[in-house]
Amino acid sequence: MEHSLVILHNDRQIFSSDEHWLYPLFELELFLKESAIPVDQLLLKDKIAGKAAASLIARLGIRNCYIELLSERAIPVFEQYGVKYAFHEKVEHIQCRTEDLITDKMSMEDTYLFLRKRAGKVQGTALKINDLTVEVAGKLIIQNLDLELGRGEQLVVQGENGSGKTTLLRAILGLVPPDKGSILIGEELVGSLEWRKKRVQTGYLNQENAKNNFPITAAGVVAIGVSGVKISDNERDYRVELSMRKTGCFQIRHNLYHQLFGGEKQRVSLARCLCQNARLLLLDEPTSYLDEKGKEELGELLIDLSRNEAPTMLLVSHDSAWTEQMNWHTKTLKSGKLW
Amino acid sequence: MVELFTYTPILKGFIVLIITGFSFPITGVYLLRMNLLPLRFMLMHGAILGGAISLAMEINPFGGTLIVNLLLVLLMTRMARSLKVDPGQLSAFFMVVSISLAFIFIYRFQVPAKDTLSLMWGSLYTLNDFEFVGTLVFSLLLILFQSFYRHQLRAVFFDSDIAKTSGVNEAGFYYVIILVTAVTVAAAMKLIGALLLDALLLLPALIASYHAKSYKSMVLWSSFWGGLFASVGFLLSLLFELPASSTIAVFASVVFLVLILTKRKRRCS
Repeated sequence: MEHSLVILHNDRQIFSSDEHWLYPLFELELFLKESAIPVDQLLLKDKIAGKAAASLIARLGIRNCYIELLSERAIPVFEQYGVKYAFHEKVEHIQCRTEDLITDKMSMEDTYLFLRKRAGKVQGTALKINDLTVEVAGKLIIQNLDLELGRGEQLVVQGENGSGKTTLLRAILGLVPPDKGSILIGEELVGSLEWRKKRVQTGYLNQENAKNNFPITAAGVVAIGVSGVKISDNERDYRVELSMRKTGCFQIRHNLYHQLFGGEKQRVSLARCLCQNARLLLLDEPTSYLDEKGKEELGELLIDLSRNEAPTMLLVSHDSAWTEQMNWHTKTLKSGKLW
Repeated sequence: MVELFTYTPILKGFIVLIITGFSFPITGVYLLRMNLLPLRFMLMHGAILGGAISLAMEINPFGGTLIVNLLLVLLMTRMARSLKVDPGQLSAFFMVVSISLAFIFIYRFQVPAKDTLSLMWGSLYTLNDFEFVGTLVFSLLLILFQSFYRHQLRAVFFDSDIAKTSGVNEAGFYYVIILVTAVTVAAAMKLIGALLLDALLLLPALIASYHAKSYKSMVLWSSFWGGLFASVGFLLSLLFELPASSTIAVFASVVFLVLILTKRKRRCS
């Protein structure tokens, strides 16, 4: 049986896939992440490629490809990113709904995220808030607020101190009961029995509590992410290591958490959220105790996360200079509503 | 000195003290981490109320103390959570209420105040079979609870909000911890008395917190120090013919002081 996708390195086959649509390319992405082979020396052989496949091939860094059936819409993408291509047959376009949905306005990263979502390879879950009103100690903090975030989308919520940003996050987390309205995470209504069973799908990176001197290592904090689930010690260790490697803090795993620098703590906290497989990530003023370098590193980490695991992310911050660099969709919380 | 152990009350007291010496400091860790220090004052006063009621009704003071303390912590916790009032403030409130009611009982039912206040000193050698077995069973349950739920407890002590969002039933653990504390305080009062129970509960946890590098080591070190204080203090009390409870407390305090001074000296140098 002929494979749908084959990768050759110095005329030797090193990878093949029999999957359909774009899945072989996503498989290849994982394979390349774990191998040390220089991508620009590879030759990719694919049965069929349109604009979507061309975007993924270019993003992987592959420079040479042979396509049996090539859509003309793929050619500008190959040319833009310097991919040398050959083909057996060229057609005006291929019958694929995905190809029609990719517009010229979409950047490479937008296209990539869009394709991951189409492929169901986005970890994120949807968030839907309807007519939310929250009072705290008799004071109206959130008033008739509506918000909708799709799977794997990101949103920055800005606002002055005391505008209710943290209360909004705490309401989503189920830590503050709403006085009116509803919050849906995926299909689950916050506060319901089903939501309690899946509560772990929402990760929370809260404001740093500088007074917390609890004796716990960085790895211990990450392991808290799986405290509420029954797993073996081996599985726990594996998930802790994997998530710490992803956020680049594995080397400080034995260090005491309260002795870490601000940026290191945020990496550890993000690893904790990854460890619990959070599909919705809520970040509350994550730059509060970070210097410029720490902010830059955290920004890169979050952007990287949005492109790989792609959890749905809601970030609240009053640090507008930093959030602008993220280039995420932004809303402002004012008078209890989002504008 | 060995021949003293042939006396059943002394042997019983020794066994219970060693077991609780290792297990009760676990509760001390809980008290420290959850900042529940005012709670034990409430429980001490609750124990006097329980003692007064028990003596007035001519029932076992240990059982009465236990029941009153359990009721007090349940009431306090429920009020603190539903009314969103600081547990420390509520503990102070219930402390005053308890001691007031205790004196009303003492006056109204003509309970000898001396008998009630004897609860303050403990009575290690007067354990009946129920108290002996009950304390050992409770110690075992406490160790099992700590071992079985160590991951969840670590999450709760690190940050209650994070624990909740990690799927841990934080409210459930809070209730259990409070109840465990109530039983521990009641049992420790019987063993070494209200005024000295911190030697068994808090001092070991406090010392462990100075050098522990993880929650696990904090619990293990607390148990080690508690066991050491109980066993050495008990043997010293037999050797010098001193009251066991105060000898344990003095020995624990001396060790605590030495460690604090050593630590300070090391920091200076």
